[in-house]
Amino acid sequence: MLMQQILNGVVVGSVYGLFALGFTLIFGVNHIMNLAHGSVFMLGAFAGLYSVIVFDAPFPVVLLIGGMAGGFVSVVLDLVAFRPLRRHGSLEFSSMISSIGANLVLLSLAQQLTATRVMRFPFDTFPIIVFNFLGLRIQLLQLVIIGVVVLTVVGLLYYLYRTSFGRQIRAVAFSEHTSKLLGINPTAINFQVFFLSGALAGIAGVLIGIVFNSVHFMMGEPLLLRAFVVIVLGGLGSIPGALISGLLIGIIQTLTVAYLSAELADAVVFSLLFLVLLIRPTGLFRGAGAVSRVTRR
Amino acid sequence: MMTFLNAYDPLFELALFNILLAFSQYIVLRAGVFSLGTAAFAAVGSYTAAIIVTKCGLPPWLGLAVASALGTAAGTIVAIPLARLRGVFQALATLALVQIVLSITLNWVNVTDGALGINGIPKTIGFVGWLCVVAVLTYLMSAISRSSVGRAFDVIREDETVAVSLGISVQKHHLIAFTLSGAIAGLAGALHAYSSYSITPNEYGFNMVVIALAMVVLGGRVSVWGPIVGAVALTGLPELLRGFQEYRMVVQGALLLLSITYLPHGVADTLISAITRKRIAVESAKAEVVTV
Repeated sequence: MLMQQILNGVVVGSVYGLFALGFTLIFGVNHIMNLAHGSVFMLGAFAGLYSVIVFDAPFPVVLLIGGMAGGFVSVVLDLVAFRPLRRHGSLEFSSMISSIGANLVLLSLAQQLTATRVMRFPFDTFPIIVFNFLGLRIQLLQLVIIGVVVLTVVGLLYYLYRTSFGRQIRAVAFSEHTSKLLGINPTAINFQVFFLSGALAGIAGVLIGIVFNSVHFMMGEPLLLRAFVVIVLGGLGSIPGALISGLLIGIIQTLTVAYLSAELADAVVFSLLFLVLLIRPTGLFRGAGAVSRVTRR
Repeated sequence: MMTFLNAYDPLFELALFNILLAFSQYIVLRAGVFSLGTAAFAAVGSYTAAIIVTKCGLPPWLGLAVASALGTAAGTIVAIPLARLRGVFQALATLALVQIVLSITLNWVNVTDGALGINGIPKTIGFVGWLCVVAVLTYLMSAISRSSVGRAFDVIREDETVAVSLGISVQKHHLIAFTLSGAIAGLAGALHAYSSYSITPNEYGFNMVVIALAMVVLGGRVSVWGPIVGAVALTGLPELLRGFQEYRMVVQGALLLLSITYLPHGVADTLISAITRKRIAVESAKAEVVTV
């Protein structure tokens, strides 16, 4: 029973990690909080859903379409909500406000388009095959989700750490000013970062949509709130931190639901966020170097 | 005139409630604290006030006092650990606080009646009562903003390094800002409970965070007029847009987006600084004429 719950937690947590990774990527490079990330996730899920309903697309194509749609929305978001702000300073405050505004717009547009319905993936989108392994019931879907997350993360890490584009992204993350002197175009890099981050959110959206078999306009908000916990726990801007603490939050949440009560899960998870900010605001996986960015001297 | 007032009474009361919420958000933003805790403090005040009247059977004035006191205490307690965090992290922590309070009000059914909320609260505050409270608070706000504390807030918001070099304690002033924010929101929540017959947990969720933030961003976060202008505008807007009821949120979001992009200081502050600049120009022109 315990192992089963932990397995379920790992599956949900890996998707949280994927979602939080996109969020933390934008923070790491641009130092802004994209509070509309939840809407990107939701729109990615809808794109995947419609591709199944309209074209009867197979699973890998659904993922691809969800990812592309998420990336596209995210790039548009950058153009509309963040780029105009870069002209005047204090980006930290203003970008949060403008992304809240963009989030409201996207949310209510989605609400209008779907007439506030909760939509479901067709029954045969993914075959239900259950394996029994050491007393655990493992669904094929769960294995595939973990596989997709691992593949995406490995792909992202390869892109960031082994290609020239990734080196440019890391240079801009280190210092936008210096990278300009080195002949890197930060505008192009921002496009890439927002696309990557949106694509991660879109894929996560499709996965969550299939796992819980419901796609609706409010699905992004709880995930965004979870993502806050994940990234604070892992250290804002840290990629391994986001993944590990994503898994951790997934497991903690599933265990709370299973052994305490479903209603308490929120209180437990957010109290955790509060506690981490009190005790170790740089996150559990971050060295002392981040201290100056988080706290005052 | 009286019929007009009666017909729109709930709307006016909502506007005045929103002004108080905006004040609570304004005082922290003015000090450069990025707190989103207003909704949580308001929930504390609201539930305290409602429970004191409906469950304990005590008089409303006591409820108001206890609610404001608890709001103040909540603000102070939160401030002590959070004053050492920086912008974004303060925002995240206070957002978590809002979620925790929401979760408690939803699940502590014995005390808060859960998702149904507390109903049948006698209405003891009318339009006049609201008006008096808002007038007093507006006076207090402007008094604070002209005092040394208000000046210190301005310096901290503009540049913390400068503030420290001037001998202004950032932590102390953030503590003051948090405490004031908690007190005002607690009072606002209590008044809301006594004038709207019932309260539910979801009123005090993410939506309230957004609306409180939107009012101050739209209005401006330096002058006291900012939150007032923002609150009145955002309360009146849905009434003007009644025909487009479905697109209300779109308009609100777009307004937030456009105002932070093209009017980053808010309506009131931009107007005030334009007027001041003009007056300075006129004065200096006069002075030039005299010297010539």
